[in-house]
Amino acid sequence: MLRTQLGRQPHKGSKGATEARMQHMVVFSVGGQRLAARTEEIGGVMPWTGSTAVPSDTPFVRALVRQEKGCLPVFDLAAKFKRSLQDGEPLCLVVKHVDGPLAICIDSQVPSLHMVARSAVQYRAGNDPDIAGTCIAGEEELPIINLTTLGVSSNRPA
Amino acid sequence: MGLRGHKTAVVSSGLAVRFLVALMGPTHVAFPSHWVRGIVTPAEGGQDGHVTWANASYERTDLARRLTIQAKGVTAETRIVLYANEQRSRSFAVDKVVGLIDVERTLIQPLPAQFRGGERERLLGLFVESSYIALIANPFWVLELPSRTNVLDVFALRVSERRPGEFDSRLRLPSAALEEASAMSAGSAK
Repeated sequence: MLRTQLGRQPHKGSKGATEARMQHMVVFSVGGQRLAARTEEIGGVMPWTGSTAVPSDTPFVRALVRQEKGCLPVFDLAAKFKRSLQDGEPLCLVVKHVDGPLAICIDSQVPSLHMVARSAVQYRAGNDPDIAGTCIAGEEELPIINLTTLGVSSNRPA
Repeated sequence: MGLRGHKTAVVSSGLAVRFLVALMGPTHVAFPSHWVRGIVTPAEGGQDGHVTWANASYERTDLARRLTIQAKGVTAETRIVLYANEQRSRSFAVDKVVGLIDVERTLIQPLPAQFRGGERERLLGLFVESSYIALIANPFWVLELPSRTNVLDVFALRVSERRPGEFDSRLRLPSAALEEASAMSAGSAK
């Protein structure tokens, strides 16, 4: 369930050399906030079927969502960015988190796959440990979110 | 005496844990039933902070507040659960009794590691039912006792040890309360 935008892929040079200069990114939206993430950090996208609240003290981790016979914890990315999900049927983005699979409720707009030149990716540490930097995808400058360590740096004792 | 809310989640020869499932606010909370001593109505519970039932006294605790759950408030379905072991006893309100359920030990999942806060002390894990996900309350925490490791192993029953149709012989609820719980849970538990 990913829209591919390969039209921007450069045609010069060998395929291997080209791919070495490219970074695969997925662009998705949470409450209208567009974000980019590395494709290897994403486990899949599926319809959002609703969540079960968990009385939790962990910031932004306060629900579970069913997946097959089990369930996944939910990270409330919309709350982190102080946004509300847009109207429509939301989607569930499954993330390959360091602590195990994690679900994020995202806007109904289907995530798109982009090949971004590495020169258009700027990694830099900022105030938010969940943001790795920025990239230019589809002529938009977007924050890159660290999905695999989402919520870890800010909550885990150093 | 029939407990219509009783359900066996799976049939296997392994270990199972029997839970009393109750609604607290929107949340299904499961309590290992071995320490359930009774279920009474708020009117039977008394007003002085203690419930006395079958010559035993149970100090009231606001479990919903401790769990940080927004309870509904007292309704016709509110019940007081009497919970105790040999050391301590407590009583607490739940919004609705759903019923008893046997869950195979292997189907009980730990709380995912992404939950890092105080909920790890309060909740032992969860199990998934067809219509809900139940969060398992730590019975030691409920009774305000020091917790221990492998808590659920204390409550595990070997399924093959029970005869067909036999309820947990350790679960000795007042019969009136059981009948009432049965009637309440008949519409919601399967």
